[in-house]
Amino acid sequence: MADPGTTLQGRLASVLPRPHLDRHERGHVVAAVAVLVVSLLVLPSVLSLYWVDSLIQVAVYSVVALGLGLLVGRVGMFSLGQVAILAIGSWTAARLDYATTLPFPVILLIAGGVAGVFGVLVGLPALRLSGLDLALITLMLAGAVTIVLQNTNFPNGGHGFTGYTSSPFGNPPIRRPSIASTDPAYLRYAVIVALLMFLLVLWHLRSKPGRAWATIRQSEAAAMASGVNITLYKIWAFALASFITGVIGAVLAASATQLYITPFQTANSIELMAVVLMGGVFTVWGALIAALLLELLPSIFDIWNLSPFLLLILFGVGVIQVLSTAPTGIAGQLPKDLARLGRAIASLAARAGGGRNAAGPTPAGGPGPAIAVPEQDPVGTAP
Amino acid sequence: MPSWQDFEPFIVTGIAAGAVYAVSGVGMVVLYRTTGVLNLAFGAIGALGALICWSLINTVHAPDWLSYLVCIAVGGLVTLLYGMVIGPALAARDPLVKATATIGLALILLGAMSWIWSNNANARSLTLTSDTWTFRLGSVLVNWTQIIALIFAVVVAVGTGIFLRKTKLGTVMRALANDREISATLGVPVRRVEAAAWLGSGLISGVAGLILADQVALDATTLTFLVISALAATVIGRLRSLTLTFFGGIVIGLVDALGNPITSIAPYKDMTPFILAVAALLFLSRRGGAAARARRVA
Amino acid sequence: MIEIENLTVRFGGVTSLDGVTVTLESKLCGLIGPNGAGKTTFFNVLSGFVSPASGTITAFGTDLLKLAHYKRARWGLRRTFQTEQAIEGLSIFDNVAIVWENTNRGRSSRERDVLGAIEFVGLGVDPKSRVGTLGAHERRLVEMARAVVGSPRVVLLDEPAAGLPEEETKHLGSLIRRIPDETGALVILADHDMDLVSACCTTTMVLDFGQVVTVGPTAEVLRDERVVSAYLGATESA
Repeated sequence: MADPGTTLQGRLASVLPRPHLDRHERGHVVAAVAVLVVSLLVLPSVLSLYWVDSLIQVAVYSVVALGLGLLVGRVGMFSLGQVAILAIGSWTAARLDYATTLPFPVILLIAGGVAGVFGVLVGLPALRLSGLDLALITLMLAGAVTIVLQNTNFPNGGHGFTGYTSSPFGNPPIRRPSIASTDPAYLRYAVIVALLMFLLVLWHLRSKPGRAWATIRQSEAAAMASGVNITLYKIWAFALASFITGVIGAVLAASATQLYITPFQTANSIELMAVVLMGGVFTVWGALIAALLLELLPSIFDIWNLSPFLLLILFGVGVIQVLSTAPTGIAGQLPKDLARLGRAIASLAARAGGGRNAAGPTPAGGPGPAIAVPEQDPVGTAP
Repeated sequence: MPSWQDFEPFIVTGIAAGAVYAVSGVGMVVLYRTTGVLNLAFGAIGALGALICWSLINTVHAPDWLSYLVCIAVGGLVTLLYGMVIGPALAARDPLVKATATIGLALILLGAMSWIWSNNANARSLTLTSDTWTFRLGSVLVNWTQIIALIFAVVVAVGTGIFLRKTKLGTVMRALANDREISATLGVPVRRVEAAAWLGSGLISGVAGLILADQVALDATTLTFLVISALAATVIGRLRSLTLTFFGGIVIGLVDALGNPITSIAPYKDMTPFILAVAALLFLSRRGGAAARARRVA
Repeated sequence: MIEIENLTVRFGGVTSLDGVTVTLESKLCGLIGPNGAGKTTFFNVLSGFVSPASGTITAFGTDLLKLAHYKRARWGLRRTFQTEQAIEGLSIFDNVAIVWENTNRGRSSRERDVLGAIEFVGLGVDPKSRVGTLGAHERRLVEMARAVVGSPRVVLLDEPAAGLPEEETKHLGSLIRRIPDETGALVILADHDMDLVSACCTTTMVLDFGQVVTVGPTAEVLRDERVVSAYLGATESA
């Protein structure tokens, strides 16, 4: 290849140093740091236990939503079985919590690993399928797992393989890490684990796997022609999404004193899909929004004495709306709406200022390059 | 291993339960074959009809037959409304997107139903008059609701099959499902044909709602998510074959019921639909992987 | 050099390629033929999207058919598509980088190779801009950059000039002519634009109904009666 010479140096400088973030990315980092500071330093001390518990659930489900968003938005795989994977992670963690004295972080990793293996097992047959078939098979598998769990129940300190005893008395609570035994402390712990999972995913998205997934999502033909091993990367996506879901499942397990099948029903997988679509599958912020919709909104509705069933109606409308008009979800739509609002205000101000052109830079709106928004069908089946 | 006598009663209940899955499955496949929409709100719509029927009977004291008709009509109307209002916006999209949108409808209906018919869900039940007409088959007591369910499933499966293949409207519906755009340019009255398909499927969901509410439970949540088990039947039918879907439903009901006397696996018998569906998807799915999809682009 | 021996491809009842036997030695070969002649199927077999019913393909001494499709890219096979497939959600740099990082065998620097390829095709746009914001011509150039980055051995160009106005086609032509010398790759250019083919390719092969009509020096081939009659009734290129 001919050496382009000096212009190459200039280009290198503009592209190379990864830590150098452009205006958009900087905005995201600032926002993320703000959220972290508030949730780590402020909220745990300020809020009542009721809200602290709610926020723990938000932290948990933001990671679950992240996993699902990864599968749907990046690779185009609609998996309706993520809640089952979460259940597997929680079950494994609970079992280990009771039966061993392993340090909590180790349990997190093991739970993630087990869930990851299950995810890959689900992923393997799914590879041959796409679109609706894929969604259906994951739904069916989730249904099967749920039934198994309904029968084995969650470990509660009993003996035997399932670690379950039907006696309702004297069951010890699921163990928590010693540094985070109180609820506010556990909230901080949950936020940090969630943060680590987010960073893990972001790291993937910004490097080779992320690029491979983006290629697969838009065009499997182009992916193959680029040398991308599609099978490998699809399995990798399943493995990653399941790993983080398993890890956060372990966090979920210890957030409760005891686990029941209720939050892990197949119906919850459907609700999860709804909020993830609403939050936006193409950005990482969408995962947080989805979790807020799923876990914070019910508490708010409760306080305002609104029926929780109205929430279902809201989610239903949201799904239809997202699919028909706003494929990027709230996370994608909100910046655009805010930008439009900003421009409207700016032009109003300009006109008020008397006859000058509507000045001011028009913010491009939308998330930054590392988590770019494709202008296309959210269902990423190849053309 | 239990003996034949232990199994015998479960064969009948199994077929009866299977008929219920078959009705729902066939109803969903009918719509899918004509509009490309897998209506996941099928159960929710039927539940709405059943609840309205219940209210008519128990609060307004309307005659039974009228309330049943209203239920069926509600099924048809709600489905038609969705199909005409939301349907067109998504008509050109992937079946997956269309199916996911019906999830939205299901959630809306579920929320509305749970809110309106809120308290003492357990106290509500729907007993169809055909329940009281019974007869003996061997050692088992069969009621006419179960027979009607079976007959209805057969009639719908066979009838729709003939309709789609032999009648003009049916052929047009198949053309529509194949390619909406081209059908439109060929002068097919797209919206009218689709309306017929939505209405037909909706009426079926109304009937299924009655039967399910009677046989299983009159509870919004239960009936809404029962569709997941019925989906297993549609998967076995590969979303294409009405016959396979019908028999898939029957088999699911049978295997599920026959699991009862085998105490070792009895707790897990509810997994039947899912396992059968997964098996069907894996073994009957023939379409190649990425290479086949790539060919369509290059 | 590519040796193709008795290549046959069937889709159900249709024989898309029928016993195609040809040896391509020239560094820049043209591939022409009316629509449906089998040009894209030919490329698809080379890329691995389609399995032949029979036949062999030996390129630079390697039996290509033994390699899985994504491994052929690592071997050095590159291709562009009739409808360009540049990835909209990624930047220009990332688009080209994907190919590099999935096919790179040597130790060279990623940034250097990728930016070099972008420079080579003459894309004057900021490499960090998203492909989704580019126009048709620039996207074609991104595809070309993907085709030449790293160490390509065989480059398949499937109607790269389709839909492009004359000036951009000329630019593409001059670009294509430089590929063999600067990368060492063998280029096969399939197109309907005869001016482009005769400007770039020294040898040309002609397909019709899945069979090789003739192969030889481009100027001769284009004058060949059989080729002319094969094209009778074919629509003009864009």
